[in-house]
Amino acid sequence: MESAIYMPQIAADQFLGIFIVATMVLIFGVGYAASITLSKMGFIAKKWQLFGYAFWILQVYTLYDLGMRIHSSPFTTKVLAVAMLAYLFAPHLYFYLIDEAEKRYETSEDGQ
Amino acid sequence: MLINGELKYESQKLGMNYFRVALVLFGAQLLMGLIAAIQFLYPGFLFEIFDFSVSRMVHINALVVWMLYAMIGSVYYMIPDETGEETVGIGLGKLAFWILTAAVAVVVLVYIFIQVGPGNESTIWFINEGREYLEAPRWADIGIVAVVLVFYYNVFATYMKGRRTGIMTVMVANLFALAGLYLTGMFFTDNISVDQYWWWWVIHLWVEATWEVFVGTLAAYALVKIIGAKREIVEMWLWIEVLMLFGSGILGLGHHYFWIGTPEYWWEIGALFSSLEPVPLVAMFVHVLYDWGKEQGHCESKGSAHALNNSPAMAWVTANAFGNFLGAGIWGFFHTLPQVNIYTHGTQFTAAHGHLAFFGAYATILIAMMYIGVQGSYGIKKMTMTFKTKMALTLIIFGVLGMGVALTIAGYEQVLVERADLGGGWDAYFIAQDLPWYIQAQGWRLAMGVVTFVGFIYLAWDLLTIGAVESAQEESEGAAAAAAA
Amino acid sequence: MSKKSASVWTSIRFWRRSAAWVTGTATVLLIWLTFDTMGQISMGSDADLAKGIKHRIPAATVINYHVDYQFDQKRGHEVPVIGEKEKFFGKEWSAKDAAALLHHGKLTSQAKNCMNCHTLLGNGGYYAPDLTKAWLDAKWNDGTMTGITGKNTKEEAMAEFLMHPSQYPTHARMMPDLGITQDEAVALVAFLKHMSAIDTNGFPRNFSQSAKRLEGGTHAH
Ligand code: HEM
Ligand code: HEM
Ligand SMILES: [Fe+2]
Repeated sequence: MESAIYMPQIAADQFLGIFIVATMVLIFGVGYAASITLSKMGFIAKKWQLFGYAFWILQVYTLYDLGMRIHSSPFTTKVLAVAMLAYLFAPHLYFYLIDEAEKRYETSEDGQ
Repeated sequence: MLINGELKYESQKLGMNYFRVALVLFGAQLLMGLIAAIQFLYPGFLFEIFDFSVSRMVHINALVVWMLYAMIGSVYYMIPDETGEETVGIGLGKLAFWILTAAVAVVVLVYIFIQVGPGNESTIWFINEGREYLEAPRWADIGIVAVVLVFYYNVFATYMKGRRTGIMTVMVANLFALAGLYLTGMFFTDNISVDQYWWWWVIHLWVEATWEVFVGTLAAYALVKIIGAKREIVEMWLWIEVLMLFGSGILGLGHHYFWIGTPEYWWEIGALFSSLEPVPLVAMFVHVLYDWGKEQGHCESKGSAHALNNSPAMAWVTANAFGNFLGAGIWGFFHTLPQVNIYTHGTQFTAAHGHLAFFGAYATILIAMMYIGVQGSYGIKKMTMTFKTKMALTLIIFGVLGMGVALTIAGYEQVLVERADLGGGWDAYFIAQDLPWYIQAQGWRLAMGVVTFVGFIYLAWDLLTIGAVESAQEESEGAAAAAAA
Repeated sequence: MSKKSASVWTSIRFWRRSAAWVTGTATVLLIWLTFDTMGQISMGSDADLAKGIKHRIPAATVINYHVDYQFDQKRGHEVPVIGEKEKFFGKEWSAKDAAALLHHGKLTSQAKNCMNCHTLLGNGGYYAPDLTKAWLDAKWNDGTMTGITGKNTKEEAMAEFLMHPSQYPTHARMMPDLGITQDEAVALVAFLKHMSAIDTNGFPRNFSQSAKRLEGGTHAH
């Protein structure tokens, strides 16, 4: 049975790096979602969206680094790339839907 | 929470009964967790009297049962609001409640006092089934199925009779799947791989598919009820969430089939679909937060006070949106790739994720439902946070997060020493258990567990008193206003 | 109303239908995969075992064979290796007796609630060592446990330990006495030996290296 995922040996002294980088992936990811959401909601100024994208780029970079560190196979690399693209678009898609839905459903009568 | 005089429907009163039992079981769950946490540090504690296996079993069973109680309670509570009808078979529903509660009491007493039995079928039938989370003995399984059938009949028949909102449509369809899945975990087999294959059907397809959709439904109901969100928008989002949750969660089941004897193709399927599982959680997070923020801005601009009519419930719904994303989404994603999971599988890392996810995704929103129930029971128009509400929120969230962080550190140490360095096995396991990092992490977990428990006491106290206090306040304010006019 | 032209992206009907289709497709795929997996994880037969035909889950009579766990170059991880015949509790078990023994062992593992302290195949409680490959653990092979229990074979040592675990402590955290009888203990050992022969795709990883690495001490000190 040919498998697309291969389990490489990882030396014990590499685990600390893997955990730190993985944690950074998550922190940057939260940073991206938070800055986009908060600025779209108007809690913080629009210019913070740029920081959001910076977070996303950092996230891509750290995830790439993580992929190298766990010697990820071509399959996993693709999964991660798809996940990152989905993550770039997801908040925008959500806000597009929120706006459109409001136009359609909120205009008929007032909210209350 | 003690009385419910202002509720017009019997269905809602029955819902309150379910909430009351849920709260008691929640307390029991935490006490058992504390015993188990003490045993990690002082293994002699209650040794051969009330062993770790027993405290842990009651801890996680009480967890599952209180959540199911609160879920059933929430459904009985929302049925009249959504359908405009009294629950059809309410008499039968009440009977089922007392039967179920009696059965739960017997099961717990047997767990506590009999604990284990001889290695034959009688134990499986009458004492416990020994399968993590699904320990309930078979007689109780059958009883649960009977009670759930009554419950489902009630929901379905009332739905057919009354208004059929989108929220109720999702609820009715989802409950069918949720109840049906329980059946896949009820049989015995000699083949441990087949056993665990179906065991995960219940556990995973509950917590990462049907329960998540249930939470989506509750959040939709709560948003309409608490902040008057527009029903069409909420329902549109609910369907999108169903799509994404089931689309990723059903095949995401593969992340439990990496190492139990099942074929390798589950590596790819599990990695791909479970990596997508956080996506709907981000959607729920964005949606809830946005709606809440917008609704507040909306009303402030019109000069009225803010739109929230139940701020304790809303605070817990917000905690849910965030906790679901954090505990299930982030902690889940962290160990869901097979390359990582081979090292973290079955370490304290899993326990960290289990705590953060169950708490963040479920405990929070079910607590919110209890506050909605209290508000209705006392007929309070606008419920606000008391000092106790705030203490409960702060201490419980801080405590559970603290436990999660401590267990993550312990898990990391296990990965490094026991798994990566030493390759697993008996000695490797205990070497890792004895290192200072691990022991200190267990110490912090216990401390944070105590914080959580103190928070729970505030929560229970608040739920029991907030209704009477705030309804009296509203009454006197009303009287003052009337006198002034 | 003027909503005729509204985009499908905000149409509730569109999302409802999409949700139904996606859920349906995922469910059908899962059911199909389940059939395939069930075929692959049903227990092999005694005859296949004798002929050396591999199954992910071997027949109960695997207790009559030597079991090992070795690195497989092609798969990139360790796999169970079923070797020569060996006696189990001093005899060879017929297919019927072996199946009955495994049945009793599995039942006992549930009746005694092993899974709420230990992990089996990595699932369960984290209070005690993983049992997936317990049969192969160095502890039972290097003379430690046979020595402590005063038994000649590892299966006898395991059975003795299971009956009176708190008499043979290896750590402050002890296993409690669960009232396991002699028959139940023998059956449990069979259950553990059978589990060690399951092909778990290389979990636990590097288990076969454990003894060697322990001699070198750990990095973490
Ligand atoms: C609210 C939703 C969730 C809950 C309540 C939850 C709860 C749990 C629990 C309790 C376990 C441990 C089961 C055991 O005792 O063996 C577990 C395992 C696991 N969960 Fe989740 N989970 C949720 C969502 C997720 C998500 C979204 C992901 C992935 C993105 C995920 C990934 C995993 C993985 C990979 C494991 C296996 C851990 C191991 O190998 O030991 N979970 N989950
Ligand atoms: C007072 C606070 C708590 C303490 C001290 C505590 C302690 C524990 C302990 C010692 C275990 C056994 C872990 C092991 O096998 O190593 C456990 C398991 C578990 N607890 Fe808690 N717990 C607490 C609160 C909670 C809460 C609030 C939840 C969820 C709402 C929860 C959900 C779970 C789950 C799902 C497991 C099984 C985890 C797994 O198998 O991966 N606990 N808890
Ligand atoms: Fe899962």
